[in-house]
Amino acid sequence: MTVVPQEHGWRAQRSNALALPLLARAIGLLIVIAILARAVSVSLSENYPLTFWVSQLVNGLVLGGVYALVALGYTLVYGILLMINFAHGEVMMVGGVAGFFGLQIASSLGWLDGSAAALGLLFALLAGMGVAALTGVTLERVAYRPLRGAPRLVPLISAIGASLFLQYSVLLIFGVRPMVYQRPALIADGLRAGPVFVPYTGLIIFVTSLLLMGMLVAIVQYTRLGRAMRAVATDKEAAALMGVDVNQIIALTFLLGSALAGAAGVMLGFHNSVIKFNSGFIPGLKAFTAAVLGGIGNIPGAMVGALVLGVAESIGPSALGIPAEYRDIIAFSVLVLVLIFRPAGLLGEVVVEKRA
Amino acid sequence: MSLLTRLALHIPAPVVACALLLAACAAPPVQPTAPAQPAAPAQPAAPTEPPAQPAVQAGVVVVPAGGKIRIGGSFALTGPIPDPGKDIRQGAEIAIDDANAAGGVNGFLLELVAEDGACSGDQGTVVGNKFAADPTIVAVTGGTCSGETFGLKPILQRARIPFVSPSATNPAITSEDCDVCNRVALSDALQGQVDAEFVYNELGFRKVAVMHDSSDYGKGVAEIFRDAFVKLGGEVVAFEGAKVGDTDFRAPLTKIGVSQPELIFFGGYATEAALIAQQMKEVAGLEKTKFMGTDGAYTQQYLDTAGSAAEGTFMSYVAGDTQADKLSAFREKYIAKFGIEPEKLGPFHAQSYDSVLLIVEAIKKVAKTDSAGNLLIDREALIKAIRETSGLAGITGTLTCNPIGECGAGGVQVFTVENGAFKQVYGFGLR
Repeated sequence: MTVVPQEHGWRAQRSNALALPLLARAIGLLIVIAILARAVSVSLSENYPLTFWVSQLVNGLVLGGVYALVALGYTLVYGILLMINFAHGEVMMVGGVAGFFGLQIASSLGWLDGSAAALGLLFALLAGMGVAALTGVTLERVAYRPLRGAPRLVPLISAIGASLFLQYSVLLIFGVRPMVYQRPALIADGLRAGPVFVPYTGLIIFVTSLLLMGMLVAIVQYTRLGRAMRAVATDKEAAALMGVDVNQIIALTFLLGSALAGAAGVMLGFHNSVIKFNSGFIPGLKAFTAAVLGGIGNIPGAMVGALVLGVAESIGPSALGIPAEYRDIIAFSVLVLVLIFRPAGLLGEVVVEKRA
Repeated sequence: MSLLTRLALHIPAPVVACALLLAACAAPPVQPTAPAQPAAPAQPAAPTEPPAQPAVQAGVVVVPAGGKIRIGGSFALTGPIPDPGKDIRQGAEIAIDDANAAGGVNGFLLELVAEDGACSGDQGTVVGNKFAADPTIVAVTGGTCSGETFGLKPILQRARIPFVSPSATNPAITSEDCDVCNRVALSDALQGQVDAEFVYNELGFRKVAVMHDSSDYGKGVAEIFRDAFVKLGGEVVAFEGAKVGDTDFRAPLTKIGVSQPELIFFGGYATEAALIAQQMKEVAGLEKTKFMGTDGAYTQQYLDTAGSAAEGTFMSYVAGDTQADKLSAFREKYIAKFGIEPEKLGPFHAQSYDSVLLIVEAIKKVAKTDSAGNLLIDREALIKAIRETSGLAGITGTLTCNPIGECGAGGVQVFTVENGAFKQVYGFGLR
């Protein structure tokens, strides 16, 4: 997992084969111009105040922060294993469910009253992260490790199966009713600057996602664990010969990514109040989109991709003057347009060149 | 991925298997040998009927002696409103119990075949196909949601199975060209109109925003409200959509906040309504804005999810002309059987009871016993008998079906939330 965007090997060959992207790019350019023209004309005619755009930007950054927390896990696993863990969104949901019960326990112990509330929140967060990490590691052991030597599509299908398994397990055990997070007074309010309101939950999500991204980069680049991860990513056999416990490193990768997803689940619960069995599906899909948008395998890329996606979804409908229910179209149009111009994503894929 | 997972989410494997193996799924307990039947091949079977089913005589359901009359039920047991779906199913079960306790139909007992319509058009189609493939299904109660019922409608129409929905309120559920389509709930054509009158005349608001969840039900009632409100002379400053299952409404709310409406009207279900009521408190320009939802959100789940944000919000409901004595008898049996008060789950239990009642009474009119002791129910006669229901005393009032299948009595009520409970402030039956 070196942080040099790779433009050679099989990837370079493929981009040569796609020598006709000239046409695609021309079409893409036309679309971009049309979108910009539309955005300008709508903004001029609607005459929204500046604070409106700031509010929408805040909404978008928070939404992007949620996507980022999930996307970081996606990209981490992809960077090491070249495997798309489609169950990652569900791991987030499991974390959210565990956080809900953590919160119930904390509340019954009186940890949410007054000044102790921070303790209760931390407990809920740790519960979510712990259970999610456990789920992720178990998934790796049961659903992915036995298939490590198999063709790449096989673990992908296994991941889809795992995703459904987790969804319906939660459905069977806890039922279809959404679990409702009661926000303690400590984080119920927010910052208010004139008409712009930033809920504390949103602020926490955004700041946490930035911190965790920094932490992940530091771990991967500057620690022994990170060095081992990069070694495993480059060549599993050689790493094993050098004394790296490959199984352990991969399990640790899943542990790290899943704990992040668990944190995302709990924070999403606080921010949007409800978690239920299929709460992980859409954020998982969007996070995957964000990871591809930023350049899959690239940790800062996942962050950038997630924020771009969140802001596009939030500002897009207003800027283009279309109903808000079409925001998913905007999200995926952004993906298509970015991939036309930068097939490796905004910051470039970080794919270690595998030995043939 | 998206497509794969979605497919897998919407179509449970056993259902697919059943749809493929029509014969195998047709309820073994009621397979008669039917020696008294004239040779089946002599009668050309309708093309939609599975061929060579011994129980099928074209257009007639044959219940063998000792068998049960099977009534299908499509209930939203999963999906956005699981609690109201469960409530409707349990209301139907009480109705079946009551009918059986009163001796059934010509001595034949009734049985409810409950399926999960999941409040979605896709799943409604699956359930509809399952019922259409089962020659023992006499009639259907359901579906719970409008989208789900739109899934059932064309399939049951082709299979000649009449249905009565207790709770699907989209106006287009019943139509001139559908003789099997009936409902006990009142149409949103009425609800949207009364809601608009309430907001315009009673609250005196002139500037509102309208939101919906893009479901057949939510978007339908939102459009009717919008049109009625504009017709009254009010201004609708925004018409914004979301999706069932969305949890973050801050972006559309921020957009609506720019025009500072006096009220946001939302057509949709409980969770989304509760989250909008909660999140609009964070948005600039909506500090004084009121919130109003519709019958899909008129549930305990809305109160639980919205918490303190529910206080002072409005909710409308298509109420029956409730008969207090009948309702209390019904509630006693319901609580005794299920251990919970029906109101805690949802609002449509009484309509559900009446839907089944309507079906059973119509079966009584057309069922005949043949010389071998089998019960014969002619499908076309049953469809006609349901539509001709008149003056039937149900829990929700005197049920009389009009020519297009609107059978309900009652009117629209508007509630506000006060101290965590609904309190009626306007509309039908207000004392």
